[in-house]
Amino acid sequence: MPRLAIWIILGLTLTFLIGPFLIVIFAGASAGEALAFPPQGLSLKWYAKVFTVESFRASFALSMFLAIFGTLAALILGIPAAYALHRYDLPGAETIRTIVAAPIIVPGIIVGLALLRYFVVPLNVTITAALFVTHTALVMPYAVRVVSSSLNNLRADMEEAAVILGCTRLQAFTKVVLPNIRGGILAAFILGFVASFNEVPASLFLSGPGVRTLPIYMLSYMVITFDPSVAALSALLAFMSVAIVFIAERVLGVSRYV
Amino acid sequence: MTRHLSVIALAAALGATSAAAQDTLTISVYSFAQDAYKEALYDPFEEICNCELVIETGNSVERMAKIEANAADPVIDMAVISSHDALSLAQKGLLQPIDTSRISSFDRLYPAAQDPIGDNMAVGYTFYASSIVYREDLVSIESWSDLLGDDLAGNVSLPNITGTQGPLTLMMLDKAAGGDASDFTGTISAIGESADDIVTFYSRSSELAQLMNQEEVIAAPVGRFAWSRFKSSPLPFAWADPVEGQAGGMNVMLMTKENGNEDLAYMLMDYWLSAEVQTRIAEALIDSPANMDVVVSDEVAENLTYGAELINSLNILDPAEIIANRDGWVEQWNTEVIQ
Amino acid sequence: MFLNRSEGLALALPAALFTTMVFLVPVAILLSIAFQDGAGAFSLQGYVDFFAQPLNRSVFLRTLKLGILVAGTAAVIGYAAAFCIVNLPATSRGRIFGLVVLPLMISPVARTYAWIVILGRTGIVNDTIVGLGLSDTPIRLLFTETAVFIGLLQLFLPLMIISLVSAMENIPKDVIPAARVLGANWFQVFFKVILPLTREGLVIGGTLVFTGALTAYITPAILGGSKVLMLETLLYQKVNVSNDFVSASVIAMILIVMCFSANLVLKRIASVKG
Repeated sequence: MPRLAIWIILGLTLTFLIGPFLIVIFAGASAGEALAFPPQGLSLKWYAKVFTVESFRASFALSMFLAIFGTLAALILGIPAAYALHRYDLPGAETIRTIVAAPIIVPGIIVGLALLRYFVVPLNVTITAALFVTHTALVMPYAVRVVSSSLNNLRADMEEAAVILGCTRLQAFTKVVLPNIRGGILAAFILGFVASFNEVPASLFLSGPGVRTLPIYMLSYMVITFDPSVAALSALLAFMSVAIVFIAERVLGVSRYV
Repeated sequence: MTRHLSVIALAAALGATSAAAQDTLTISVYSFAQDAYKEALYDPFEEICNCELVIETGNSVERMAKIEANAADPVIDMAVISSHDALSLAQKGLLQPIDTSRISSFDRLYPAAQDPIGDNMAVGYTFYASSIVYREDLVSIESWSDLLGDDLAGNVSLPNITGTQGPLTLMMLDKAAGGDASDFTGTISAIGESADDIVTFYSRSSELAQLMNQEEVIAAPVGRFAWSRFKSSPLPFAWADPVEGQAGGMNVMLMTKENGNEDLAYMLMDYWLSAEVQTRIAEALIDSPANMDVVVSDEVAENLTYGAELINSLNILDPAEIIANRDGWVEQWNTEVIQ
Repeated sequence: MFLNRSEGLALALPAALFTTMVFLVPVAILLSIAFQDGAGAFSLQGYVDFFAQPLNRSVFLRTLKLGILVAGTAAVIGYAAAFCIVNLPATSRGRIFGLVVLPLMISPVARTYAWIVILGRTGIVNDTIVGLGLSDTPIRLLFTETAVFIGLLQLFLPLMIISLVSAMENIPKDVIPAARVLGANWFQVFFKVILPLTREGLVIGGTLVFTGALTAYITPAILGGSKVLMLETLLYQKVNVSNDFVSASVIAMILIVMCFSANLVLKRIASVKG
């Protein structure tokens, strides 16, 4: 296929996919007062302003908390499950796999609503707790799947050899299995972190006075503000996500495990 | 190690919301001018009460729905919403009557604000006029019927029927068409016919600011509380004075039933309605006062809905009427307008 | 061996139980509301009432229509892009592929926000259109189905490209040149060689894009507003404005059924083509 055609098609596709970002980045760097592209002059003042808005900081902290600890919780529950599904011949293995993967299949907005009505209100749980539990459940499918996939690459006899040589099962697990699936665990963590941080539909209903995740807050802020600070915030978040994934790829070669 | 950390952090997060160092008062307010409100009301109040204000924002009808949904265990202690949404909550038994003796400025409020929905279930704290905001360099507005006219076709936004401004717009369009505000069926049909020419139906007045600045829309009916945004914009906006007059309404304060925080709630209501605070709020051009003792300069007054004469001239829609007819309007709206 | 099942179950159960209690049970309860009448007996009245309203019907049809359009367009563009990527030398391939995947890592809020600036009356697209003389006045792009379509396409196109690239990489290298040598034109090469061999990728990509478009909230909310409602934004309104949980439950069930059916239908199409 002619070179030129390839570059034209790819050029157009990539412009469509990535162009809007670049626009957001530059719109946020405007020296003017209103959101517009091309921006009237360049300035970093809106990027600076983002750090000073207190509600941004509060919701950023909440999102970070949920992303880090929700993913950790998902891994704590998910790694044993992945291991069990892999090594043992469990009755109902398919059922368990389907249950654990379910959160990805059901539309997020339904999850958020169902949890609000039938978990938060009847059990009188705080919104933050509900968010934590939701994000854990939403990340778990990633955790189980990615860890399973790296377990598949692990030779079963290494574990047995360790046991024969005198380790207990637990020691065999921690000394043989875990180190070898470390890359997979890290990949699962990164994927889960990004998924949780950017999560919107489920978190939409799970918000209360003073409790909102960052994307949800940005949505409502976007509607009432028309200055470039929203663009600046979007750009900053984009940089953050990209940086995390980029570093993970460089340092760990994470894409092998996905 | 990480397991311990996460458990500790989880416990901390779950506990944090309940183990507050001070008392908290949770209030539900409009999203407007929160920065200005912080300076004029929230910060000074927090110093006086030595408590923490937790603030939920949004438009009136959504916040009303939330209060309803949480009826069994109220999250919100005190709220400011539109008078008809308050009436709806009162009719569902979700509010507690306000003991007016605990509000020191009560007698200094305009009579209309003292018992706006009956049974002392709410107290008015601000009046607002509603008219049409428009780009005076691009169009001129003489009558409410201009909203559906050719000049604005493709460039106008109307409020969604569920918002506070929706029924007010219906009333004024009906008046412009010669009706007597008893039945809006014809008006809704007229809007339905022009639906293609209407860019969008806004749910929050704050959405309009962006739309107007981007010139998606060059005119829209809006409450006066939103005017400050347009006034401070570099683009030339004007506030219409149509032949049919302006519409208007009152926003009210209420307390949810058995919220457990009544003392702090009364403290805030008393403070908010005092002449001192109402003057401060008025001078910041946020909300127009309900307290008759508030005196402001002519310049400030021009930007507010100020003075008995203006307040009495507004076309008001009775909250009880809105409640009675809203379902019918919404149904017709969903059938004929939004498709 | 020395593996006993109860040990295995003990390891796997916490995750399964957690998900069941926290997720499956609430969702099941929510879905069941639509199947009850006022007294709690089984009834489909909720569904009948829902579809009786013209607004609900048109929102349903619009959601279905946009889902199919987005998936179809993504397939066409996706094949073109995937074909190009697969034919690049190895060094550029990795980088270009990375660029395609990049947007997926970024918050949908940010990705949708850009379109407000681009599609606005004073935005780039309109500036170009007026500048080129294609129209005297700026055309209205925001708050239309077109805007939602564009936003959804941008959001989900990478998923289709990834699936198709993955599928195309499995085509043996000499198959296409062989077909060309045997006299096939590009049209035939596509329909008789590429399409059958990449069926599975198309099914996966198609399902991902279709279900994504169906269940997107932010893009229709921001770019469509209250005039261009989709099932998810309608659901939000039913809950937050009217406290109408029966309708919300009906919509939830419809969404789940649509996503499931899409998967089944696409799988069926894929296996028939063999």
